[in-house]
Amino acid sequence: MPNVLITGANRGLGLGLTQLYLADGWQVRACCRFPAEALELQELLEGSEDRLSIHLLDLENLKTVEAIKDTIGDDPIDVLLNVAGYYGPIVVSDPGGLQVFGTTDYDVFEKTFRVNVIGPMKMCETFVENVAFSDHKKMITISSIAGSIGENKSGKLYPYRASKVALNAIMKSMSIELKNREIIAAPLHPGWVRTDMGGPLADIDADTSVAGIKSVIDGMTMAHSGRYLVYDGSELPW
Amino acid sequence: MPTALITGASRGLGLGLAEVLVADHWLVHACCRNPEAADRLKMLKTESEGRLIVHTLDVLDHSSIEALANSLVGQPIDALLNVAGYYGTPGLTEPGGLQEFGNQDFDDWIKIYRTNVIGPMKMCEVFIENVAASERRIMISLSSEIGSIAENDFGKMYAYRASKAALNAIMKSMSVDLSQKGVVAVPLHPGWVRTDMGGPEAPCDVQTSVAGMKKVIDEISLKHSGKFMVYNGSELSW
Repeated sequence: MPNVLITGANRGLGLGLTQLYLADGWQVRACCRFPAEALELQELLEGSEDRLSIHLLDLENLKTVEAIKDTIGDDPIDVLLNVAGYYGPIVVSDPGGLQVFGTTDYDVFEKTFRVNVIGPMKMCETFVENVAFSDHKKMITISSIAGSIGENKSGKLYPYRASKVALNAIMKSMSIELKNREIIAAPLHPGWVRTDMGGPLADIDADTSVAGIKSVIDGMTMAHSGRYLVYDGSELPW
Repeated sequence: MPTALITGASRGLGLGLAEVLVADHWLVHACCRNPEAADRLKMLKTESEGRLIVHTLDVLDHSSIEALANSLVGQPIDALLNVAGYYGTPGLTEPGGLQEFGNQDFDDWIKIYRTNVIGPMKMCEVFIENVAASERRIMISLSSEIGSIAENDFGKMYAYRASKAALNAIMKSMSVDLSQKGVVAVPLHPGWVRTDMGGPEAPCDVQTSVAGMKKVIDEISLKHSGKFMVYNGSELSW
């Protein structure tokens, strides 16, 4: 039975992916900041046939990453799936949410970097041995088309774009450095999805996105490592 | 007489740019953390016939950026040159300096991001009106080929790569947002240069790099805005 570790699993894409992997017979380690408040996640425990465990993880507190490592020990992790992300206190679809030039909140800028870049880096470093001991050997981090410099035609979104480009940079470096261990490392754009982060005007619903993400991950081989993949199977330029 | 404002002007590429711009009869605002200890900058000042003004500035200290902006209100700045940068500790050419996977110092990551990304962002936001009021309207941040995700075939250097890729992202967004003001915004790769940061093995000397960058500054126009420029006039992919 393959297993996946998912961050940000209490809502949105993380919750949807948890449901999908469980339905496909996987064991899921679902991580979130407030397990006691993650009611939708808890509801999945019943019916999961003990294939779901819930773990406390706060990417702004890296000790919580190490605590999960202590719990898991040397058990293999087939897919490490970094989903947890941060856009800012005002979502993109709300007034003032576009992070326009001249209005930058530098505390938000730094928090965005901690959650979206340092967090996944710490996760990948901490669990690389678990992934290396598994059958699938995949480390996937949810990025965004906002992290494509080549596709940036609308500007703005400074803290978020910077973080997602930085994330793409580290996943690419991992794909090179971990190649000899046959680990697949890649950033993945989930589409613009109607979640709390994406807002109600986004292009696609969460079900479409997570089905695509799982299908892309299922089909990934070493040939896809270090590429900027999209939920629909296409590829983005850096 | 065109005017430049340079950060990191006490040594290396910042000092070299100050020298060539003063020699070409620009007025240069040269910024560094500790002017008292900047002996070569002091020497250049005595030879500059009043065309070099030295300022105390630490890009990690946003109040020092705002203080400088307050002292320069209403003065046009033709070229805002963000040169100050930080590789990390240990340095690139020191033992352990390659920032390999599994060996990250996340406190240093924050300092690298604050210096290389947040600092230039703050500089551009604070001095935008000075630049917009000038004739040439140029904002250049020194990036690095290491920040090219597409060109990464070596891995490692996670924190530095992440910071320079993120810097490229914000300069690209500025090129989009500020085009209607006629402001040119680019990241510029100075070559791999024999400076304190680049180390003694680097192939390019400071004179060659700054002469090339000066030519880029002289010839740059709106059609270059948002491109990943190189000191020798070529262009890098993201």
